[in-house]
Amino acid sequence: MLEPILQTSELSVSAGSKKILNPVSLDIPEGGVFGIIGPSGAGKSTFLKSINRLTELSNGLKVSGQVYHRGDPVYGVGVDTDNLRSRIGMLFQQPVVFPCSILANTLFGVRHLGKVPRKEWNNVAEKALREAALWEEVKDRLKKPGQQLSVGQQQRLCLARTLATGTDVILMDEPTSALDPRSTEAIEGLILDLKETHTIVLVTHNMRQTERVCRTVAFIGLRDKVGTMLATGKLTDLQTKCCEIPELEDYLCCELTEPIPKAKAC
Amino acid sequence: MKRKLIHHLFRALTGLCALASCAILAGIVASIVMRGWSALNWDFFTQQIALVGASGGIFYNVIGTLILLATAFVVCTPLALGFSIVHSVYLRDSHWRGKLTLLLYLLNGVPSILFGIVGMVIFVQVLGWGKSWLAGGILLGLMILPTVSVTLIERIGSLPIKYTEAAIGLGLRKSQIIRSVILPQSIGGLITGLMLGLARAAGETAPIMFTATIFAGASIPGGIKESPVLSLPYHIFILAQDSYDPAVKAKLWGSALVLIILVLGLSLVALPARLKIHEEANHA
Amino acid sequence: MTRSALNPSCRRWSITLILSWLFTGVALAAVVGGLGLLLIESAPAWKHSGFEFVIGKKWFFRQSEFGAAPMIYGSIIVAILAMILAAPVGIGAAIFGVEYLPRKWRLGLKVTVELLAGIPSVVYGLLGILLLRNWIYEVFQDFDPLSGDTLLTAGVLLGLMILPTIMTLADDALRGVPGTLRLAARGLGLTATETALHVSVPQAFPGLLAAVLLALGRAMGETIAVFLVIGRQDNQWPSSILSLKPLLESGQTLTSKLGGSETNIAYGQPLHWGAIMGLGLVLLSLVVIITLTGAWLQRISFRQHQQHS
Ligand SMILES: Nc1ncnc2c1ncn2[C@@H]1O[C@H](COP(=O)(O)OP(=O)(O)OP(=O)(O)O)[C@@H](O)[C@H]1O
Ligand SMILES: [Mg+2]
Repeated sequence: MLEPILQTSELSVSAGSKKILNPVSLDIPEGGVFGIIGPSGAGKSTFLKSINRLTELSNGLKVSGQVYHRGDPVYGVGVDTDNLRSRIGMLFQQPVVFPCSILANTLFGVRHLGKVPRKEWNNVAEKALREAALWEEVKDRLKKPGQQLSVGQQQRLCLARTLATGTDVILMDEPTSALDPRSTEAIEGLILDLKETHTIVLVTHNMRQTERVCRTVAFIGLRDKVGTMLATGKLTDLQTKCCEIPELEDYLCCELTEPIPKAKAC
Repeated sequence: MKRKLIHHLFRALTGLCALASCAILAGIVASIVMRGWSALNWDFFTQQIALVGASGGIFYNVIGTLILLATAFVVCTPLALGFSIVHSVYLRDSHWRGKLTLLLYLLNGVPSILFGIVGMVIFVQVLGWGKSWLAGGILLGLMILPTVSVTLIERIGSLPIKYTEAAIGLGLRKSQIIRSVILPQSIGGLITGLMLGLARAAGETAPIMFTATIFAGASIPGGIKESPVLSLPYHIFILAQDSYDPAVKAKLWGSALVLIILVLGLSLVALPARLKIHEEANHA
Repeated sequence: MTRSALNPSCRRWSITLILSWLFTGVALAAVVGGLGLLLIESAPAWKHSGFEFVIGKKWFFRQSEFGAAPMIYGSIIVAILAMILAAPVGIGAAIFGVEYLPRKWRLGLKVTVELLAGIPSVVYGLLGILLLRNWIYEVFQDFDPLSGDTLLTAGVLLGLMILPTIMTLADDALRGVPGTLRLAARGLGLTATETALHVSVPQAFPGLLAAVLLALGRAMGETIAVFLVIGRQDNQWPSSILSLKPLLESGQTLTSKLGGSETNIAYGQPLHWGAIMGLGLVLLSLVVIITLTGAWLQRISFRQHQQHS
C-alpha cells in the first residue's frame, strides 16, 4: 500500500492533431477498486487502454507520458508489451468469447503464455472459473462452445480467462453495461470479492455501482472538448466538489436517476 | 523467449511474402521497361507494322485496341447500369438478388477463351460477320460486366440510407429516386469500375483472337462485316511465338511496354478509389 | 418488397424501370445463350464418344478419336502447381498486411498487388517465353527436359498470375475477422503472431479456402500465358499420376487446346467442332464447380462473422 501499483505521469493521448486526453498524473493504490467516471466520449476507455498499451492496436492513437506498473515503466523501448498485458488484464464492455469451448476459452491465455505447465491447466481453469463464480454453472459442460452461454455468463467467462493468466491488475471498461440487473449484481459481487486479491480499475456510468464498490474515484470530464482528469477522491468528496467543477455537476445531475442526498445538499 | 522468437520469425516470413509480391511487380515492370524502352520513339507510334513486325511501328495496333475498348465501354455501360440497378434497387428485398450476385461471380469466373469460341460461333459464323471489331468489342464488354457491376453495386450498397429515405420522404417514385439520387451519387463507382474493367479488357487476347483481330493488313475499319482491327495484345501474342529475330524482339518488348503503360495507367488511376469502395461496402 | 412498394402509384412503368430490366435481360440472355450454344454445338461429340470423351486418353481428330483426359489432366495439374506455389505466398502476404501493417501501408500493399493482377496475361506469356522458359530449362538440366516448354513452366507462370487474386481475397477474408477478437487476444498478452495464428486464421479459414479455390478457377481458365509456354503436346498421359516426371515434359491444357489452330480448322465439321465445344463445356464445368464451392465458402465465412459481431 506504500507504493502505488499503477502510476501515470503526464499520460496524454492524441489522434493525429486532435487531442483526446490531456495529461493525467494519477496514483492507483494496490488492492481495492479504483473507479473512473465521466461523460460519454471523455476518453475513459482510451485512458484505460493506454495503461496496458492496448491503444497501440487502434489506428492513429499516440500516447505520450509514462505509466509505472509496480515502479517499472510501461512505455519505453525494450518493454515486453505482451508480458505486460498478461499482467494487466482487460475486460471489455461487450464480452468477447472466442469461438471454442468454455474450457478452451478459459485457458486461451494460459495455453499460449507458457507460464503454467500443461498438467496444471485443468486446475488453473477450475480455480479461475471458481473465482469468476462460474464453475458451478459450467462444470458439466466445459467442452461446449463458449458462445452458447448467456451474455452475463460470457462476461464472467472473460473474467475467468483474464484471472487464469495470473493478472494482478484488471482494467474493466463498463463491464456491466451490456448486462441485465441480475448479472450486473453478480459481477459487482465478484468485483467485491476480487478486490481483496487484485487491483481493479473500473470505468462505469452506474453511480450506484461506483458507490457500492469503489474506494476512490477519478472524474474525467470534457473541458474544451478534450478529456481532462478534473477530480479524484472518494465519491462523497467528489460530490462536495460539485460546485467548483461545473462539468462534474453536469455529469452527476444527468447520470443520477435517484440523486444521492449529499449531492443535493451541494 | 521462444514465443518472441516465433513471433519475429513468422512476421519476417510473412513480410518476405509481401515483399516478394511487390518485388515481382517491380521485377516485371523493370524487365519490360529496360528491354522495351529503346524501342519507343515517335516512329514506333506513328508507323504501320512492317516486315512481319521486325520493322515499322504499332500505330494501327494502338488504334485497334482503342476501338475495341471504346466499343466495350459503350456495350458494358448500359448493361452494368441496368444490371446493378435491378440488382440493388428493384430486387433489393427479393431472393433473386442473391442469385444475381452468384451469376456475377460465375460470369467473372468464366474463362475468357470461352467468350472467344462462343463469340466465334455467333458473330463470325452464324451472323456471318467474319472477323469484326464490333464482335470483339461486344465480347470484351460482356467479359468485363462483372468487374464493373460489382464495383457499382458495392457503391450503391454503401450509399447512406438517409439519401434514399429523404427522397422517399419527398414522395419520389423509385425511378425518380434512381435518377435523382442513386445514379448521381454512384457515378464514381461506375467510372472506377469501368476503368478497371477496360484495363482488363485492354490486355485480353483470348476473346478477340478468333473474332476481331488479325496480325497485319488492317487499318481503320469501314463497316461491320469483314472488318477486323489490329490490336496490341494479339500483336504481342503472335510475335512472341516467333521471337528469335532480334529486331522482332526489340519491337516486341516495346509493344509490351506500351500495353502495360496503358493497362497499369488505367488501373493506377482507378485502384485506390476501387479499394476504398470495396472496404466501405464490406468492412464498415 | 413491402406492401407500399406494390401500390400502384409506385409501380408505374417508367423509362428507368424498362431500360434497367431490358439491359439486365440482355445480359442474362447472353449468358444463357452462350451456355445453350456450348451444349447444343457439343452434342455431336457426346453422341459420338459418350463418356469416353472425358476419360479417353487419345485425341486424333483425323481418326475421329476424341479423348480429353490428357488435357483435363494438364489443366488440373498446372492449376494445382500454380496453387501450391502461390497460396502460401499470397496468404502470407495477406497476413502480413492485415496483422502487422498499419492501415495506410496495408492499402499500399493491396494497391501494389492488384496492379500485379492487372498485368495482361499476354505479357506474362511473353516473359514466360523469353525468360522463364530458358531459366527452367537451365535449372532442371539434370533431368534432361526436351525443352523449356513444360507443365512446370506453365505452373510457375500461372502461380505468378494468380498470386494477386489469392492475396486480395485472403486479405478480404482476414479483414472480415472482427477486431474485437484480436483486441481480446492481445489483451490477454498473446503476441501478434499468436493472435494471427490462433484467432484470425482459424476464424477466416473458410474465406481463405475460398480465396484458394477462386484463384484455382482463375488458373484453370487462363489461356494465353499457358498457351505460350506449355508446348501444346497432345496425348501426354503420365505413366503414373503421382510421378513428377511429366512436369518437365510438354503438355496440353483444355485452354491451350481451345486457343490453338485446331479451333479454326474444326469449324464446319460438326463432329470435330462438337469435340472442341465439348472441351469448352468440360472447362466451363470444372471452373463453375470450383467457383461455386468458393463462393459458398465465402458466404459461410461472411455469415460466421456477422453472427459474431
Ligand atoms: N482510434 C481513434 N482515432 C481517433 N479518435 C479516437 C480513436 N479512439 C477514440 N477516439 C476518440 O476519443 C474520444 C474518447 O473516446 P473513448 O472511447 O475513450 O470515450 P469514453 O469516455 O470511453 O466514452 P464512452 O463512455 O461512450 O465509452 C472520442 O471522442 C473518440 O471519438
Ligand atoms: Mg468507453
